[in-house]
Amino acid sequence: MLGDLINPYYLQVGSFIMINIILGLSIYITLSSGQLSLGSAGFMGIGAYTSALLTINYDLPIIVGVIAGALVAGIIGILIGIPSLRLTGVYLAIATLGFGEVMRVFLVNWESVTKGSVGLSGIPQIGRELLKFSRDSGFSPMSIGLKNNQFVYLMVLLILVIINILLIWFLIRQNKSRVGRAFAAIKMDEKAAEAMGINITYYKVLSFAQGAILSGFAGALFAHVMGYISPADFSYHRAVDILIYAVFGGSEVIWGSIFGAAFMTLLPEVLRFISEYRYLIYGLVLVLMMAFRPQGIIDVPLLQKLHLTKRRSKHGSKN
Amino acid sequence: MTLLKVSGIETYYGKIQALKGVSLDVEQGKIVTILGANGAGKTTTMKTIAGLLKPKSGTVEFLGENITGLRPDQLVKRGISLVPEGRAILSGMTVMENLEMGAYQRNDKEIAKDLEDVMQRFPILKERKNQLGGTLSGGQQQMLAIARALLSRPKLLLLDEPSMGLAPLIVADIFKIIKEIKDSGTTVLVVEQNARQALKIADYGYVLETGKVIVHGPSHELLEDPRIMEAYLGKKSE
Repeated sequence: MLGDLINPYYLQVGSFIMINIILGLSIYITLSSGQLSLGSAGFMGIGAYTSALLTINYDLPIIVGVIAGALVAGIIGILIGIPSLRLTGVYLAIATLGFGEVMRVFLVNWESVTKGSVGLSGIPQIGRELLKFSRDSGFSPMSIGLKNNQFVYLMVLLILVIINILLIWFLIRQNKSRVGRAFAAIKMDEKAAEAMGINITYYKVLSFAQGAILSGFAGALFAHVMGYISPADFSYHRAVDILIYAVFGGSEVIWGSIFGAAFMTLLPEVLRFISEYRYLIYGLVLVLMMAFRPQGIIDVPLLQKLHLTKRRSKHGSKN
Repeated sequence: MTLLKVSGIETYYGKIQALKGVSLDVEQGKIVTILGANGAGKTTTMKTIAGLLKPKSGTVEFLGENITGLRPDQLVKRGISLVPEGRAILSGMTVMENLEMGAYQRNDKEIAKDLEDVMQRFPILKERKNQLGGTLSGGQQQMLAIARALLSRPKLLLLDEPSMGLAPLIVADIFKIIKEIKDSGTTVLVVEQNARQALKIADYGYVLETGKVIVHGPSHELLEDPRIMEAYLGKKSE
């Protein structure tokens, strides 16, 4: 029976994978124009707190909160992105990391609004709202053989999967467009791109802001999936985790960050049975990766290989 | 008709003054060359004209319009295209993609035709169109860089040391191509260290020294001026 197959724990891990993929995409998109930003955790915090505060204090629907969270993160992304244009490479990484820490300290100290390091609880959850909505419209999860919590987690995961598919579809399209070409040219050679007539200021700020919007969006979703957030959720550790998604999976291609986020979220969960040793293995995997595949697990040659074999087999079946 | 008029530009790198009031005119349909030793300010002049550097004072006029301080993308739109020093090929993109990037600002229906034309002019690029830009030889990369710049349909093509680091035979090819570009109606401003070769194809020349124009005149006069010959072109062996 369907109900027995659905384990809420797996569904929740699946939801975290989806949220982390969005964070992976956020760092991928800034990297695709050659900018290494470690501000993802900070923007994630902005999105999470904006959405949480709007829905708690003003009773706004979650969807409005999430969109507002992403937009506020995007606006702050533009404000941070413009002065950061003068910085490249490690300097940009350090400046954005600093920004993230400033955000965290800000959230800790603005106690009247953010409740400080205690964090915000009682944030409206996507699952509960959906359950309420389905009850109001006369639908009972029992009718399809699901318990309430199974239904809730399943719906949340489905929504996140759909959001992810849409985001990935959009980013792949963008990669093939004029915008994507401009990002790629700037990443390869900023001076050449400038000489070709690409407005590098515009495109660099655009990619930085897109990264901020995605981080803020993921943060807002995180708040409404967890129901509880605190400044510690958006600390330096989070920024490094997000960076690892792209570095481990491969930062050259979009599938790299997606794979990295999924793998790095799943690994600690799969290794839960060896409890205290699991971070050891986590570390080992990273060291092995750096030794044998410094460009990340997924790179262009690997994708071409997969693609070519597919094409070849298609060709073979025709003949 | 004067296409480009540069008047008294002074450009700084931080506190260091690289150009101390450079003025030059580029007539439409001509090849004009800027000569000079290392550090004379040739590349700085080019970068200032192309909008990569902003002058502290002085003006740049193009077709009678003051374009001082405009961004490079705005200048490409107006018809000024720069082939930077060192070629600046996008090494991770194919030859074809590099060429398409040259037409980045265009939106018309003749891009495909222009791509075809450019590949007729540079058959080697057609042969290698699916190869990555970084795998081309130096001369081929220079041709790709010039072809890419032409795809923006410039009125004025700026070439910064196109012969740098190339074998003599290839250099001759590049100069031949520059001449052809002029004959097809595009005005060319070229910076060169290879002064004799540059003066042979150019109509007019400017000689820079420590950020100032010290001599200028029609190419044949510069070629015959014994002082210039000695200082910049090396003595003739006869």
